[in-house]
Amino acid sequence: MKKISLIFSLLVLALAVQTSVFAQNAGNKGYKPDDIATDFKLKNVDGKTVSLSDYNKAKGFIVVFTCNHCPYAKAYEDRIIALDKKYASKAYPVIAINPNDPAVEPDDSYAAMQQRAKEKGFTFPYLFDDGQKVYPQYGATKTPHVFVLNKEKGKNVVRYIGAIDNNYADASDVSEKYVEAAVDALLAGKEVKQASTAAIGCSIKFKK
Amino acid sequence: MKQLFPLLFILIFTACGKTATSSAPAFKAVQYEELKAVLEQNDDVLYVVNFWATWCGPCVEELPGFMEVNAEYAENPKFKMILVSLDNVKKLDKTVKPFIASHKITTDVYLLDDNKRMNLWIPAFDASWSGSIPATVFYKNGKKLHFEENQLNKTELKNLIHQYL
Repeated sequence: MKKISLIFSLLVLALAVQTSVFAQNAGNKGYKPDDIATDFKLKNVDGKTVSLSDYNKAKGFIVVFTCNHCPYAKAYEDRIIALDKKYASKAYPVIAINPNDPAVEPDDSYAAMQQRAKEKGFTFPYLFDDGQKVYPQYGATKTPHVFVLNKEKGKNVVRYIGAIDNNYADASDVSEKYVEAAVDALLAGKEVKQASTAAIGCSIKFKK
Repeated sequence: MKQLFPLLFILIFTACGKTATSSAPAFKAVQYEELKAVLEQNDDVLYVVNFWATWCGPCVEELPGFMEVNAEYAENPKFKMILVSLDNVKKLDKTVKPFIASHKITTDVYLLDDNKRMNLWIPAFDASWSGSIPATVFYKNGKKLHFEENQLNKTELKNLIHQYL
């Protein structure tokens, strides 16, 4: 009898957990343009922690959820480096975050991130979302997934969500540079015309 | 005579012309408009459309279940499964084609070669689709019945099919 009641209570518990997870998913789908983005404290490949609040002089950020293993992320690596080169000096630095669970995708381990950052000579932080707390708040679903933030009255306001440009396969055949257009508009004090775009990416890897 | 029978069967079917079941599955690169025309038909058929790529781990993981389900419904004229590969069109012959053979893919496969217009066709398939794969869409008579931006196991897939067939 004890066994039965234990099984029953476990079942109830499982159901309750499932329901609450479902409610959470349904309720929080992450940021939309105009939302205020949360700060974070994540470990960089150099072992130090990085927060947005560390950047006193920044006018905003190009936050890129990316990783080592994904073919789309790989295709965009050089373009992410180019974005930092172009915009860090204009006070919109790139902050790259790996959201994947290395237990599911070993190529995205912290050690592999350190190695990749070194190989490619990343000029920007490449942070590890250890415990996967940050990407769900942003609502990142894939890699690469970009969030352009603009500092307004001390808050980091989301001004663009989506793809870097409109051709992952061939950088020389890009006809729309979404992120550049967004940051250029912010630099000019103008409204971002295209505040969100959709593009194919690798789903973020988490344990089920 | 017994040996002749299958041959006769094939001949009759071929002669009938429109016989999707007897012809080899389609395998071609298409642009969005052509794919849309394939999926949105007024024929009472439930189209189960899976977006995947050879390099996508979770996609490759769910495919055997999809193929088993497809085999179970093979005789049902009101059911059709279609795979839409999002591989680079340059990989069509070298990667996608061998993959289809080695993974025993039995459905029609279209490679959506429309990379520069993702921002047009992704929201057109579903407004909530952020672009992560795998994703599966269910259509009937030109109407979208369900969209799933997630991996589906065999049971989940069959439940959805039962719901809409």
